Amino acid sequence: MDAVIELSKVTKGYGSGSRPAVNLVSLHISPGEAVAVMGPSGSGKSTLLNLIAGLDRPDSGTVTVAGNRVDTMSETAAARFRRRDVGFIFQFFNLLDDLTVLDNVLLPAQLAGLPRAQARARAAELLAALRIEQHRDAYPGRLSGGERQRVAIARALVNRPALLLADEPTGALDTRTGDEIGGLLLDLNRSGQTLVLVTHNPELAARYASRMVAMMDGLIASDTGGEARGGSPAPVQ
Amino acid sequence: MAVIGLVLLVSTGACLPGLALVIASNSPFDHAFAAQHGADVTAVIDPSRTNPAQLAATARLPQVSAAAGPFAETTVTTELAPAPQTPGGEPLGPLTLAGRSSPGGPVDDVTLQSGHWAQQPGQIVLSSTGLAPGVTDGTRLIATGLPGKPMLTIVGIATSVTGSANGWVVPGEISVLQAPGSPGSEEMLYRFRDAANAAAASADVAAVTAALPAGAVRAAQSYLSAKAQETSNAASFAPFLVAFGVLGLMMSVLIVANVISGAVVTGYRRIGILKSIGFTPGQVSAAYVFQAMIPAAAGCIAGAVLGHLLAAVLLGKTASVYGVGTLGVPLWADAAVPLAMWCLTGIAALVPAVRAGRLSAVQAMAGGHAPRVGRGYAAHRLLGRLPLPRPVTIGLAAPSSRPARTAVTLAAVLFGATAVIFAAGLGSSLSHVVSGLSLTSTEQVQIQVPPPGSTNVVMRQGHAQSSESVSAALAAQPGTLHYAAESSEQASVPGLSQRVSVTAFTGDAAWTGYSMLAGDWYTGPGQAVVPAYFLEQTGTTVGDTVVIVFNGRQIPVRIVGEDFDTGLVMITDSRTLARAAHPLPPSWYYAELRPGTSTSAYVQALSTALGPAYQVSTNNDTRGLPVVIGLISILTLLLAIVAGLGVLNTVVLQTRERTRDLGVFKAIGMTPRQVIAMVVCSVAVTGLAAGVVAVPVGVALHQYVLPRMAAAAGTELPASFLNVYRAPELAILALSGVVIAVIGALLPAGWAARTSTASALHAE
Repeated sequence: MDAVIELSKVTKGYGSGSRPAVNLVSLHISPGEAVAVMGPSGSGKSTLLNLIAGLDRPDSGTVTVAGNRVDTMSETAAARFRRRDVGFIFQFFNLLDDLTVLDNVLLPAQLAGLPRAQARARAAELLAALRIEQHRDAYPGRLSGGERQRVAIARALVNRPALLLADEPTGALDTRTGDEIGGLLLDLNRSGQTLVLVTHNPELAARYASRMVAMMDGLIASDTGGEARGGSPAPVQ
Repeated sequence: MAVIGLVLLVSTGACLPGLALVIASNSPFDHAFAAQHGADVTAVIDPSRTNPAQLAATARLPQVSAAAGPFAETTVTTELAPAPQTPGGEPLGPLTLAGRSSPGGPVDDVTLQSGHWAQQPGQIVLSSTGLAPGVTDGTRLIATGLPGKPMLTIVGIATSVTGSANGWVVPGEISVLQAPGSPGSEEMLYRFRDAANAAAASADVAAVTAALPAGAVRAAQSYLSAKAQETSNAASFAPFLVAFGVLGLMMSVLIVANVISGAVVTGYRRIGILKSIGFTPGQVSAAYVFQAMIPAAAGCIAGAVLGHLLAAVLLGKTASVYGVGTLGVPLWADAAVPLAMWCLTGIAALVPAVRAGRLSAVQAMAGGHAPRVGRGYAAHRLLGRLPLPRPVTIGLAAPSSRPARTAVTLAAVLFGATAVIFAAGLGSSLSHVVSGLSLTSTEQVQIQVPPPGSTNVVMRQGHAQSSESVSAALAAQPGTLHYAAESSEQASVPGLSQRVSVTAFTGDAAWTGYSMLAGDWYTGPGQAVVPAYFLEQTGTTVGDTVVIVFNGRQIPVRIVGEDFDTGLVMITDSRTLARAAHPLPPSWYYAELRPGTSTSAYVQALSTALGPAYQVSTNNDTRGLPVVIGLISILTLLLAIVAGLGVLNTVVLQTRERTRDLGVFKAIGMTPRQVIAMVVCSVAVTGLAAGVVAVPVGVALHQYVLPRMAAAAGTELPASFLNVYRAPELAILALSGVVIAVIGALLPAGWAARTSTASALHAE
């Protein structure tokens, strides 16, 4: 099966002399997979996610996402790629406080130039699906953590991206709310959405992802479960 | 912290020239006189009646504080030598030359404007006062009327604040330039302990005269006459220079207050951390104030150096406009401006630092640098409905989240845009003034009649014709639309010490287009048109009759109109003076050309017709306008740059406060171009608003300053000189605020666009 994410010998370091945050990593993720990237702090998992999202550039190696060579893209092309092909969910939601829930969700669609009516219909659909339509005119500051993360998920999905990236999506939530959000991501994956989830919580990874990639000191220490979900065998460093 | 240093550098650098201009506008002559050790009295000495020892002894008189000389002097008549671009022969008139080996000295420290001092025979340094157009370093002069017609090359242009000479040569050159058989002459320059008024100066001259043999002092000129002349010129420019200076000062203060308070606010989180590890509120506030003060001190010092250099350039131009040779930045201003800016930094930092000190550690860290919750939300919501690209509407809504900062930015841009609008009107009005004084649009061609006994070689070789012949030659030119002969005479008015310059026209001269402020142009002999200064000095009004004395005859003249002019002058029909002198010899002819006539071809044809005795030329008298316009342009550009830097600082603070949001925008797909559009739009409306407000403010400033400039020059301005703004022009000028804002925002917008998304997302 064609890969939605293909990393080949990717290395990324910050500052000379120090160990690379990601060191010669190769990874193949197929459409529809739910992959949890795990590891302790400093293992390189967030850097890996940033490289996949085109938020950062590798020092060497290639990053191909949804058929796009992300590592060679210009800033403008990378921005267009993110808005079109990637939905990003952050640990601390990263909603814009001065925009309403609806405006937050609409923003990527507006940046992409989606017709207004179409964008609003899509946003309404997502808000309803995520059960937060009653908060559409509220500001993020008035919402609970779980509600904010739902808004962030809606924003990430508004442009129907090929790939959903989540960086510790439950890290700032209590257990019950975290479970809700995890369940939501699982539902999305079951409906065909490719999901890459970064977490340091093995329990969360085991519950919501079918494949687990463990990172340690910038290397992939293990990659398990890919076959079970029908993904291609993952090369392991 | 680097931002604080940079802002203080720029603000101090802008403030110092502003203050220097304000200071320079206050008694520029006195400042220049003190700086150049101007001569209180220039005494013309007959060397045959005294000797160097006796002259040296006058320097020790109790009244004398300093003396210089004796400098040999002579008066020569000169004309321009032929050069590749000019045929030469243009007379420069009689020049009083002094032999001086150097420009410096205890009295009359002559300031070189360009070139170098005369170092060998054949070199001359000319005075910048009354310099003919096109005469510059390298120009060669012929001393006519002397055997061998010695040639002099101009090697420098210099200014003597007291006008001790028209030019300077090496001492040994004077004997070469002295006409055979003419008596020798020397000048002694004195500074006295008290020469504050005419009586004191006269007493001083009497003391010197008494100390020398009888007849040794041929003449003496007090600095007071030079001061009277220069002060009137300088005073007329002071209002606009003060206006620019004050605008610069206010902008600098605003920008410092804005940036420093903003920088402290952005450091709230750090303050929270300090408190959490045990700092008391007082310690936190003090630490943060000093943290701002240290880079501010470096910025102030560097800014003082920059400002001093900038002020030197501006004051050089200003001195040229004032005609005082040189102006300097006072030492106290060099010290006071950076110190004041530093104190202002302390005050600006103290208020938010004290406020931060009172916050709990958690509040400081959580409240951090974000704008107050809820502020600007409505603007975002409303503007989001507009059918505009989302980055644009987000940018347009941004000012509402920081109203105080927006107000300060608006004020800075307002000052900058006001300067632009004021400068545009000022330039336009001054062009009208110059055009009104020089009459270049009507008196397009001027013909100089050779003065009786002219020493000019070319003129002497020609044959002066009768005025009828000149008139016939003018009338015969197909391009002539109008022409008139002008006689320039001197008359007096009983009770007035000053002489009245009378311009007497032969023939119809209404076409000359003198701008009338009141009454009408004269219609016959016995009537005259005078400017406001004449009316003021004689205590008359339009309609009154004044008696002038010309050639010993009293002539009553009825004032029928007030024209736009300066000085004690009168325009009348030549027949008014005919009772006292007939016929009046014309000194100039003026011609207005038919539309479509080539001025140069006309000048050439008329020159051929009249012969070499007559100097026919185009009237392109700019009266120093390019220098003034140059100064206005520099000042306007400087203020616009400072305003732009104010915007830059605001945008830097804004983007720094919202770095995380910027990361989010980029993470969800905002392109670099959209980021730039958003950031630029965040100040565009402020700029537009400032530009719109600046229109009435700039126009009002223009309407306030111009009449005061005119009043200082002893005149009034016709309404047409004041009403120079047209609606389309104002609409364009209103956009100056947007231009300043956009240019100021572009640099930080570019930085924002290039910010790494990953690091922006992790910014705190």
